[in-house]
Amino acid sequence: MGGPDMAPQTPQRSEAPRPSRGAPRQAREPGGPDMAPQTPQRSEAPRPSRGAPRSPYRLLALGVPLATLALWQVASRFDHPEFVLSPIEIARHFVEALRSGELLPHVGASLVRSLPGFVVGSLVGVVLGLLAGVARSMDQLLSPVVFLTYPVPKIVFLPIVMLWVGIGDLSKIVVIALACFYPCFINAYYGARGTPTIMVWSSLNMGARRSQIFRKVVVPSALPLVFAGLRVSLALSFILLFSTEMINARSGLGFLIRQSESSLRFDLMYVAIVAVAALGYASDRLLLLVRRRALAWQEVTSR
Amino acid sequence: MSGPWADAVSVLRRLALLALGALVWELVARSGMFSPIIVPSITRIGRELWWLAIQPESLVEAWYSVQRALSGFALAAVAGVALGVLMGRSALAAAVLGPLFSGTYPIPKIALFPIFIYLFGIGSLSKVVLIFLECLYPIVVTTQAGSRAVNRVLLWSAANMGASRARILWRVVVPAAAPFIFAGFRIALPIAMIVVIITEMISSADGLGYLVMYSLASFKTDRMLAVVVAIALLGVSLDWLVVRLRDRLVFWERLDSYYAD
Repeated sequence: MGGPDMAPQTPQRSEAPRPSRGAPRQAREPGGPDMAPQTPQRSEAPRPSRGAPRSPYRLLALGVPLATLALWQVASRFDHPEFVLSPIEIARHFVEALRSGELLPHVGASLVRSLPGFVVGSLVGVVLGLLAGVARSMDQLLSPVVFLTYPVPKIVFLPIVMLWVGIGDLSKIVVIALACFYPCFINAYYGARGTPTIMVWSSLNMGARRSQIFRKVVVPSALPLVFAGLRVSLALSFILLFSTEMINARSGLGFLIRQSESSLRFDLMYVAIVAVAALGYASDRLLLLVRRRALAWQEVTSR
Repeated sequence: MSGPWADAVSVLRRLALLALGALVWELVARSGMFSPIIVPSITRIGRELWWLAIQPESLVEAWYSVQRALSGFALAAVAGVALGVLMGRSALAAAVLGPLFSGTYPIPKIALFPIFIYLFGIGSLSKVVLIFLECLYPIVVTTQAGSRAVNRVLLWSAANMGASRARILWRVVVPAAAPFIFAGFRIALPIAMIVVIITEMISSADGLGYLVMYSLASFKTDRMLAVVVAIALLGVSLDWLVVRLRDRLVFWERLDSYYAD
């Protein structure tokens, strides 16, 4: 396990024949690069639980962030610029802002923008990606456009979308959806293309129809990569949410950060930043939880 | 089924959607349904793009953006590979740094930008630091995965032949992890482009992101779209460069990319 052949489990690379060549898809051995999507994907946060020895290191792992916070707290007792707040102060302001209702409306406004954008963009991305992965005509139609426009930062479309659909929430939702589309499409595409041929053959042999094969073979085997794509999209949706809100908005957490920064209310700025961090963290954990449910059948590879 | 004829058909089909989109755009722009401010025609965008390309001032703006993106990316590449190899090969480093990285990974770093402006000023430095931070994560994560997946036999052989630990890291682990490292680079470089454009749009007086906002504010939509096209070309060519470099350095493995060889 783990020689150079197995190495790149990233979606960029696949042993599948390039669509441009028009070559028939070749049979591939099980356990070869086909098995790649079964292993943990790119953008995966390192998992501390696996392989890490137990007690002494675990204490250390908990100790480092705690020590950082403690150091910060101690350092803030000395002379410091106005824009530095100690962790305890930030926590106090956070509770205050929650109570006074300064924070929650902005959280709501942000969620109203990011959730529809994320859901629509990633749904379209996954569906089209899977289709392009199994049907050559879709592949030839969609992939060149998607792969050529992939390195373009999608935020640059915000001004033109704003001109078309107005400066309100819809322009932000459209840009977020656009950004979420790409990672989902690419991962679903490589996930579907990486379906072990032998499984497709077996199910054909056992008399499965094409739609059955798609549902029962292609989709499950693409699912690990699809989730990797969803995770990237989720992170991107947050980046775009806050930048669109910083550029122009009258509500939302990005707006709150920018406004409290320019009115020198650093307490509120830190509260908003903590809220952003908490929201990002919570949604990522939620996605991982869903993935664990959906991929309960998946064997965890030992490394 | 193969042969020059089939090749031509497949090339046509690959370009069909792009050509169709451009055609529809041009027709809509020329029909007079919308004002040219809302939908400028492609010929006008092309003229603006040409104007941008020959104008020294706009090239300077592009240079600012590229410089920021690449310096943040380069710092992240060096630090990320070092940290990733360390975390991949040392259980202690993985135990100490791993939770730190996985805990802060889902946090949108862009929210820290206002603090960075206070800390590092409104100039390039705050942007470079944010780009560094955003690029660091994918590079560390992929490098760690790659240096963990190094074939044990290779490590044993190197150790058996008397290689020191540092030499093993540099001559065995890093090359073996190179495909992963480059996968990380390919994820990180578009992120660097995104972040540089975003930060320039939010607060800057130079760079391509600023040029986008400035052209929009002066209702020069054609120029704005020309800048967007320029940014797109820049992103694609940087990605192309990374793929070329990868194919050079990781010559034993070809990348399945969309750049024709």
